[in-house]
Amino acid sequence: MSQFECIELDNVEEVAVVKFTDEKIMDPARIEQLGKELLHLTDSDQNEKVVINFDNVKFFSSAAINKLIVLEKRMRARGGQMMLSNLRPEVRDLFNLTNLDDLFKIENEQSDAIKSLGAE
Amino acid sequence: MDGNSSSWTWTLERTICSDPKLGTQLIAEVVDYLCENDWSNKDTFGIHMALEEAVMNAIKHGNLRDEKKCVKVKVGVSADSFWAHVEDEGTGFNPDEVPDPTLDENIEKTSGRGVMLMRMYMDQVQYSEVGNAVEFTKTKSAK
Repeated sequence: MSQFECIELDNVEEVAVVKFTDEKIMDPARIEQLGKELLHLTDSDQNEKVVINFDNVKFFSSAAINKLIVLEKRMRARGGQMMLSNLRPEVRDLFNLTNLDDLFKIENEQSDAIKSLGAE
Repeated sequence: MDGNSSSWTWTLERTICSDPKLGTQLIAEVVDYLCENDWSNKDTFGIHMALEEAVMNAIKHGNLRDEKKCVKVKVGVSADSFWAHVEDEGTGFNPDEVPDPTLDENIEKTSGRGVMLMRMYMDQVQYSEVGNAVEFTKTKSAK
Protein backbone atom coordinates (compact mmCIF):
# COMPACT_ATOMS: atom_id res chain seq x y z
CA MET A 1 0.00 0.00 0.00
CA SER A 2 1.34 3.43 -0.93
CA GLN A 3 2.55 5.67 1.87
CA PHE A 4 1.09 8.65 -0.02
CA GLU A 5 -2.49 9.90 -0.41
CA CYS A 6 -2.05 12.92 -2.66
CA ILE A 7 0.79 11.83 -4.92
CA GLU A 8 1.94 8.78 -6.82
CA LEU A 9 5.68 8.17 -6.87
CA ASP A 10 7.48 6.28 -9.59
CA ASN A 11 11.19 5.92 -10.24
CA VAL A 12 12.47 6.24 -13.80
CA GLU A 13 16.21 5.66 -13.88
CA GLU A 14 17.47 7.81 -11.02
CA VAL A 15 14.60 10.30 -11.29
CA ALA A 16 11.65 10.37 -8.90
CA VAL A 17 8.53 11.04 -10.99
CA VAL A 18 5.62 12.47 -9.04
CA LYS A 19 2.00 12.62 -10.23
CA PHE A 20 -0.92 14.13 -8.35
CA THR A 21 -3.88 11.93 -7.49
CA ASP A 22 -6.40 14.83 -7.53
CA GLU A 23 -7.46 16.56 -10.75
CA LYS A 24 -8.30 19.78 -8.91
CA ILE A 25 -5.83 20.69 -6.23
CA MET A 26 -7.79 23.17 -4.16
CA ASP A 27 -9.06 21.56 -0.96
CA PRO A 28 -7.09 23.16 1.92
CA ALA A 29 -6.77 19.95 3.92
CA ARG A 30 -5.59 18.01 0.86
CA ILE A 31 -3.10 20.77 0.03
CA GLU A 32 -1.64 20.57 3.54
CA GLN A 33 -1.30 16.81 3.12
CA LEU A 34 0.21 17.32 -0.34
CA GLY A 35 2.81 19.69 1.13
CA LYS A 36 3.83 17.10 3.72
CA GLU A 37 4.11 14.37 1.12
CA LEU A 38 6.20 16.51 -1.23
CA LEU A 39 8.60 17.42 1.57
CA HIS A 40 8.77 13.76 2.57
CA LEU A 41 10.37 13.15 -0.83
CA THR A 42 13.33 15.25 0.20
CA ASP A 43 13.94 13.08 3.26
CA SER A 44 15.38 10.40 1.00
CA ASP A 45 18.83 10.74 -0.54
CA GLN A 46 17.47 8.76 -3.50
CA ASN A 47 15.32 11.65 -4.65
CA GLU A 48 17.97 14.11 -5.79
CA LYS A 49 16.23 14.52 -9.14
CA VAL A 50 12.49 15.02 -9.21
CA VAL A 51 10.00 15.50 -12.04
CA ILE A 52 6.53 16.70 -11.11
CA ASN A 53 4.19 15.46 -13.85
CA PHE A 54 0.98 17.55 -14.07
CA ASP A 55 -0.68 15.22 -16.57
CA ASN A 56 -3.77 14.75 -14.44
CA VAL A 57 -4.14 18.31 -13.13
CA LYS A 58 -7.00 20.57 -14.24
CA PHE A 59 -6.78 23.18 -11.48
CA PHE A 60 -3.95 24.26 -9.19
CA SER A 61 -4.57 26.93 -6.54
CA SER A 62 -2.06 29.46 -5.26
CA ALA A 63 -1.94 27.57 -1.95
CA ALA A 64 -0.81 24.50 -3.88
CA ILE A 65 1.77 26.59 -5.75
CA ASN A 66 3.15 27.63 -2.37
CA LYS A 67 3.80 23.98 -1.54
CA LEU A 68 5.76 23.59 -4.76
CA ILE A 69 7.80 26.70 -3.94
CA VAL A 70 8.67 25.26 -0.54
CA LEU A 71 9.67 21.97 -2.18
CA GLU A 72 11.81 23.76 -4.77
CA LYS A 73 13.64 25.68 -2.04
CA ARG A 74 14.24 22.48 -0.08
CA MET A 75 15.45 20.64 -3.19
CA ARG A 76 17.82 23.47 -4.10
CA ALA A 77 19.17 23.70 -0.54
CA ARG A 78 20.17 20.05 -0.61
CA GLY A 79 21.69 20.26 -4.10
CA GLY A 80 18.83 18.48 -5.83
CA GLN A 81 17.15 19.27 -9.13
CA MET A 82 13.48 19.52 -9.94
CA MET A 83 11.44 19.98 -13.10
CA LEU A 84 7.79 20.22 -14.01
CA SER A 85 6.19 18.59 -17.04
CA ASN A 86 2.91 17.87 -18.83
CA LEU A 87 1.13 21.08 -17.81
CA ARG A 88 -2.15 21.70 -19.65
CA PRO A 89 -2.35 25.18 -21.27
CA GLU A 90 -4.36 26.78 -18.45
CA VAL A 91 -1.94 25.56 -15.79
CA ARG A 92 1.07 26.53 -17.93
CA ASP A 93 -0.40 30.05 -18.25
CA LEU A 94 -0.66 30.20 -14.47
CA PHE A 95 3.09 29.68 -14.09
CA ASN A 96 3.74 32.17 -16.88
CA LEU A 97 1.47 34.89 -15.44
CA THR A 98 3.07 34.62 -12.03
CA ASN A 99 6.63 34.59 -13.43
CA LEU A 100 7.07 31.26 -11.71
CA ASP A 101 8.46 29.85 -14.93
CA ASP A 102 11.60 31.76 -13.87
CA LEU A 103 11.75 29.71 -10.68
CA PHE A 104 10.62 26.35 -12.04
CA LYS A 105 12.11 24.61 -15.05
CA ILE A 106 9.27 23.32 -17.23
CA GLU A 107 9.25 20.83 -20.11
CA ASN A 108 6.29 19.76 -22.21
CA GLU A 109 6.84 16.05 -21.75
CA GLN A 110 8.00 13.91 -18.86
CA SER A 111 10.64 12.24 -21.04
CA ASP A 112 12.13 15.65 -21.94
CA ALA A 113 12.20 16.65 -18.29
CA ILE A 114 14.01 13.42 -17.39
CA LYS A 115 16.55 14.03 -20.16
CA SER A 116 17.05 17.62 -18.98
CA LEU A 117 17.92 16.29 -15.56
CA GLY A 118 20.71 14.33 -17.12
CA ALA A 119 19.13 10.92 -16.92
CA GLU A 120 19.25 8.52 -19.86
CA MET B 1 -28.06 40.99 -5.71
CA ASP B 2 -25.96 43.82 -7.05
CA GLY B 3 -24.01 44.28 -10.28
CA ASN B 4 -25.94 44.33 -13.54
CA SER B 5 -28.54 41.99 -12.10
CA SER B 6 -31.18 42.48 -14.78
CA SER B 7 -29.16 40.42 -17.27
CA TRP B 8 -28.29 37.46 -15.04
CA THR B 9 -29.46 34.12 -16.32
CA TRP B 10 -28.07 32.28 -13.29
CA THR B 11 -27.41 33.51 -9.77
CA LEU B 12 -26.12 32.12 -6.52
CA GLU B 13 -26.45 33.92 -3.21
CA ARG B 14 -25.26 32.14 -0.10
CA THR B 15 -23.89 32.76 3.36
CA ILE B 16 -21.51 30.07 4.61
CA CYS B 17 -19.66 29.68 7.89
CA SER B 18 -15.87 29.82 7.73
CA ASP B 19 -15.33 26.18 6.80
CA PRO B 20 -13.05 25.68 3.77
CA LYS B 21 -15.01 22.57 2.76
CA LEU B 22 -18.18 24.65 2.35
CA GLY B 23 -16.19 27.15 0.30
CA THR B 24 -14.89 24.38 -1.94
CA GLN B 25 -18.42 23.01 -2.47
CA LEU B 26 -19.77 26.44 -3.37
CA ILE B 27 -16.95 27.09 -5.85
CA ALA B 28 -17.50 23.68 -7.45
CA GLU B 29 -21.16 24.55 -7.98
CA VAL B 30 -20.22 27.74 -9.85
CA VAL B 31 -17.51 26.05 -11.89
CA ASP B 32 -19.85 23.21 -12.84
CA TYR B 33 -22.42 25.73 -14.09
CA LEU B 34 -19.82 27.52 -16.24
CA CYS B 35 -18.55 24.24 -17.70
CA GLU B 36 -22.09 23.21 -18.60
CA ASN B 37 -22.86 26.56 -20.20
CA ASP B 38 -20.26 26.97 -22.89
CA TRP B 39 -17.64 28.93 -20.98
CA SER B 40 -14.15 28.05 -22.26
CA ASN B 41 -11.61 26.11 -20.21
CA LYS B 42 -9.48 29.26 -20.04
CA ASP B 43 -12.28 31.51 -18.75
CA THR B 44 -13.51 28.87 -16.35
CA PHE B 45 -9.99 28.33 -14.99
CA GLY B 46 -9.58 32.08 -14.38
CA ILE B 47 -12.96 32.45 -12.66
CA HIS B 48 -12.26 29.34 -10.61
CA MET B 49 -8.95 30.86 -9.54
CA ALA B 50 -10.43 34.25 -8.63
CA LEU B 51 -13.34 32.74 -6.70
CA GLU B 52 -11.06 30.29 -4.91
CA GLU B 53 -8.71 33.05 -3.82
CA ALA B 54 -11.51 35.39 -2.73
CA VAL B 55 -13.46 32.78 -0.76
CA MET B 56 -10.44 31.10 0.85
CA ASN B 57 -8.87 34.45 1.75
CA ALA B 58 -12.18 35.47 3.35
CA ILE B 59 -12.29 32.25 5.39
CA LYS B 60 -8.61 32.04 6.34
CA HIS B 61 -7.38 35.63 6.55
CA GLY B 62 -10.63 37.59 6.91
CA ASN B 63 -12.53 35.48 9.41
CA LEU B 64 -9.42 33.68 10.71
CA ARG B 65 -11.29 30.35 10.30
CA ASP B 66 -13.71 31.35 13.07
CA GLU B 67 -16.76 29.25 12.18
CA LYS B 68 -18.99 31.66 14.08
CA LYS B 69 -18.18 34.21 11.41
CA CYS B 70 -19.74 34.04 7.96
CA VAL B 71 -18.71 34.65 4.38
CA LYS B 72 -21.34 36.05 2.03
CA VAL B 73 -21.00 35.07 -1.60
CA LYS B 74 -23.07 36.39 -4.49
CA VAL B 75 -22.56 35.30 -8.09
CA GLY B 76 -24.33 36.42 -11.25
CA VAL B 77 -23.80 34.95 -14.69
CA SER B 78 -25.27 36.21 -17.95
CA ALA B 79 -24.76 34.93 -21.49
CA ASP B 80 -21.48 36.81 -21.78
CA SER B 81 -20.40 37.98 -18.33
CA PHE B 82 -19.56 36.81 -14.83
CA TRP B 83 -19.83 38.86 -11.63
CA ALA B 84 -19.09 37.94 -8.00
CA HIS B 85 -19.08 39.62 -4.62
CA VAL B 86 -17.39 38.02 -1.58
CA GLU B 87 -17.56 39.57 1.88
CA ASP B 88 -16.20 38.45 5.24
CA GLU B 89 -16.56 39.67 8.82
CA GLY B 90 -12.90 40.49 9.32
CA THR B 91 -11.19 43.82 9.81
CA GLY B 92 -10.14 44.02 6.16
CA PHE B 93 -6.78 44.67 4.54
CA ASN B 94 -5.19 47.01 2.06
CA PRO B 95 -4.61 45.06 -1.18
CA ASP B 96 -2.17 47.72 -2.38
CA GLU B 97 0.16 46.85 0.49
CA VAL B 98 0.49 43.20 -0.58
CA PRO B 99 3.97 42.71 -2.09
CA ASP B 100 4.09 42.00 -5.82
CA PRO B 101 4.93 38.27 -5.98
CA THR B 102 6.17 38.52 -9.58
CA LEU B 103 9.17 40.66 -8.61
CA ASP B 104 12.48 38.80 -8.35
CA GLU B 105 12.85 39.62 -4.66
CA ASN B 106 9.38 38.21 -3.91
CA ILE B 107 9.20 35.30 -6.33
CA GLU B 108 9.96 32.69 -3.65
CA LYS B 109 7.58 34.16 -1.09
CA THR B 110 4.38 32.25 -0.46
CA SER B 111 2.13 35.25 0.19
CA GLY B 112 0.41 37.78 -2.04
CA ARG B 113 -0.02 35.57 -5.06
CA GLY B 114 -3.79 35.20 -4.64
CA VAL B 115 -4.52 38.93 -4.85
CA MET B 116 -2.35 39.22 -7.95
CA LEU B 117 -4.00 36.22 -9.61
CA MET B 118 -7.46 37.70 -9.14
CA ARG B 119 -6.33 40.88 -10.85
CA MET B 120 -4.68 38.98 -13.68
CA TYR B 121 -7.57 36.68 -14.47
CA MET B 122 -10.48 39.10 -13.98
CA ASP B 123 -11.32 42.18 -16.05
CA GLN B 124 -12.13 44.25 -12.96
CA VAL B 125 -11.42 43.72 -9.26
CA GLN B 126 -12.71 46.21 -6.72
CA TYR B 127 -12.12 46.01 -2.97
CA SER B 128 -14.32 47.78 -0.44
CA GLU B 129 -12.82 50.72 1.41
CA VAL B 130 -12.26 48.63 4.54
CA GLY B 131 -10.96 45.71 2.48
CA ASN B 132 -13.28 43.01 3.82
CA ALA B 133 -15.25 42.69 0.58
CA VAL B 134 -14.23 42.22 -3.02
CA GLU B 135 -16.21 42.36 -6.24
CA PHE B 136 -14.92 41.12 -9.58
CA THR B 137 -16.13 40.71 -13.15
CA LYS B 138 -15.10 38.83 -16.25
CA THR B 139 -16.43 39.10 -19.79
CA LYS B 140 -16.72 35.84 -21.68
CA SER B 141 -13.92 35.46 -24.23
CA ALA B 142 -14.80 35.23 -27.91
CA LYS B 143 -14.37 31.75 -29.35
